[in-house]
Amino acid sequence: MAEYKLYYFNAKARAEIIRLIFAAAGQKYEDIRFEREQWPEYKQKAPLGQAPFLEVELNGNTFKLGQSVTIARYVARKFNLAGKGDEEQAEVEMYGDQVSDLLNELVKVHFEKDETRQNELRKKFHEEILPNTLKTLDGKIAHNGSGYLVASGLTWADLFLVNILEWLGDKKEAALANFSNLKSLDEKVRSHPRIAEWLEKRPKTEM
Amino acid sequence: MGNNASFKLYYFGFRFRGEVIRLVFTAAGKEFEDVRIDPSQWPQLKNQAPFGTLPYLEVTSGSQKLVLTQSTSIARYLAKKFKLAGRNDEEAAIVDMYADQVSDVLAEFAKTARESDANKKKEIEQKIENEIMPKNLKLFEARIAESRSGYLVPSGLTWADLYLFNLLEMLGEKRVMVLEAFPNLKGLDQKIRNNPRMAAYLAKRPITPF
Repeated sequence: MAEYKLYYFNAKARAEIIRLIFAAAGQKYEDIRFEREQWPEYKQKAPLGQAPFLEVELNGNTFKLGQSVTIARYVARKFNLAGKGDEEQAEVEMYGDQVSDLLNELVKVHFEKDETRQNELRKKFHEEILPNTLKTLDGKIAHNGSGYLVASGLTWADLFLVNILEWLGDKKEAALANFSNLKSLDEKVRSHPRIAEWLEKRPKTEM
Repeated sequence: MGNNASFKLYYFGFRFRGEVIRLVFTAAGKEFEDVRIDPSQWPQLKNQAPFGTLPYLEVTSGSQKLVLTQSTSIARYLAKKFKLAGRNDEEAAIVDMYADQVSDVLAEFAKTARESDANKKKEIEQKIENEIMPKNLKLFEARIAESRSGYLVPSGLTWADLYLFNLLEMLGEKRVMVLEAFPNLKGLDQKIRNNPRMAAYLAKRPITPF
């Protein structure tokens, strides 16, 4: 039996997809959250000097993993949330990468210091980048008949999508207005018992 | 999908994000159709791509067809098929982690390409050269030393090594000089260049600026 320890700041941000996967799978793990001042100490332990990172105790060995999307992919596979078969798994990863790109665009907007540029980037994100991706994803859900991104059912790509929709905050409703399949998926995932439980009890943080 | 699948890769004529896929096919000795799209033709062809982006891969096996996009997902899928993804789940995850790291650095290069403001562009270029590249080169150098195989992971060549090789090529003319300071990276670079299939491919592929 493997034991899992997730290390991150006290925030949702880049670790939340991993926590959602653990929740959906009903898998216990240690959700370690450190303060900013403690980071230098934890940085030493992190495989690439970055957070989040995961420690897995497996057969008496400790295995460490960095890069949030790699961690998500790894644990999703272990818990059968990665899709069925190589081809479907590749599709799931493709959607996961697509959502990851959206996340990176949002982060870019957030960290832009020049106000004019920030407004420009924000506008481009909400009027172009986001709708284009959501439109394609909405179409994919409609196409495969499961109500999820791939035919076999819930995967980590669905969880990642729901995660990024959360990042939109009060803009989420407007963003989903024309995408009924995405809206249904979001509702379905959020009301899944284990996920609903996690959303209810997780620490409330701004980011 | 069966082992007799046929592959068609669509990307621009340069290396950048598509090259790792070409390298995986080459290292595995697998045939593929290498469709290189002229940027001027791209607007007309954009609708055919799953997310309107390049690269994308068409995999056909009998009546089954799969269309994949996102360069790292494509590379990973092929690497798994061709046994270039690591020995087990844990090693494959380490390979993925290194690939994500390389991808992050490539994203920085992409930023410079997209930046129209000359000063900002210079700023990013400096950051890559003085901060980001050195930090990542040191990291990968240490990891190769640790694995003892001469590659990033103990079991040998994986797609992460090919991706790293691709990243090192982004150094352009500076590559040889920079690698003098990193014997393990230099060794990996040489090993890949000297692999017969790779050598043949590198000799005949189109020369592109990036």
